Amino acid sequence: MLVVLGLIVAGCSEPTLAGIVREPPPAVSEISLPDMATGGEEFSTTAEPGGLLLVYFGYTNCPDICPTTMADLRKALTDLGDGVERIEVAMITVDPERDIPDRLVAYIQSFFDDGHALRTEDPAKLRTAADAFGVSYEVTTGESGVTEVAHSAFLFAVDATGHIVVQWPFGTTWQDIRDDLDKLLKKET
Amino acid sequence: MTSRPILALTIGVGLVVAACGGGDSIQVEDAWARTSASMQDTGAVYMTIVGGAETDDLIGVSVDSSVAEMAQLHMTEMAEGDDGSEVMSMHPVDEIAIAPGEQVSFGPGGYHIMLMPLAEPLVNGSEFDLVLDFTNAGSITITVEVRED
Repeated sequence: MLVVLGLIVAGCSEPTLAGIVREPPPAVSEISLPDMATGGEEFSTTAEPGGLLLVYFGYTNCPDICPTTMADLRKALTDLGDGVERIEVAMITVDPERDIPDRLVAYIQSFFDDGHALRTEDPAKLRTAADAFGVSYEVTTGESGVTEVAHSAFLFAVDATGHIVVQWPFGTTWQDIRDDLDKLLKKET
Repeated sequence: MTSRPILALTIGVGLVVAACGGGDSIQVEDAWARTSASMQDTGAVYMTIVGGAETDDLIGVSVDSSVAEMAQLHMTEMAEGDDGSEVMSMHPVDEIAIAPGEQVSFGPGGYHIMLMPLAEPLVNGSEFDLVLDFTNAGSITITVEVRED
């Protein structure tokens, strides 16, 4: 009886988040990609115990959506205060041909000092990772010879069990992201 | 004591002018670009364009080669990916109609002026000029502020 009550209470205290919570939470614990920030060591898309891993699929030539999301996330983390040290950020490039390792590392670490730069030249491996997150992307060459990239524009938060606990669509305010992170971190402790 | 009615009149006239949406000519407000990240060699300029007395069309943009090789009107929008899911994609835009008094916002996730490739990184606090070409108003040079935002 106590256990049941406990479950009910826990159920009622689930924080309401501004981002999208998918049910059941998709598992991404099986995904790992080489991290260019550590010389290519495999990096699992799972947070450290008690922490959160924020994952974004993007590319460095992106003029609008990616830098806006990264800048908003930086504002959210700067303003978060306690607990920010339990958050890690990883960017997965959907344009590995142009995003050579040094370029990707410099890009993500200009937003986040310890940012992870995940890159694979194996299209199947990248597609598997994207599918696990529910991300679509397409890199094409337009008529003028300009490379065009279309991609899902979600920022994902993954917990220590390797599940996506929330995802924010493009346009979510940095304050909402900050508040969601605050609630999630309190839950993780 | 006689100055008060004059002051009131001046304020009144000011309000009337303001209500007319800035007068006859097209206005460009708050033009800015985000500081570029390391290795980022594209940029986006955002602004608000306020229409003048008559409809006009923004038909082109240009920037000095010391800023970027080229500037292009662009729009980011939600599109359908191969698998039917939503993806953000960008495409060039030939012209943007600006109706009288209408405020057209250029912002993240919508209209922007793409700079590609950047000649130099966009440094916080710096400024550069950009030329907007309108069908009726002709060429208007605006100053773009670079900021973190």
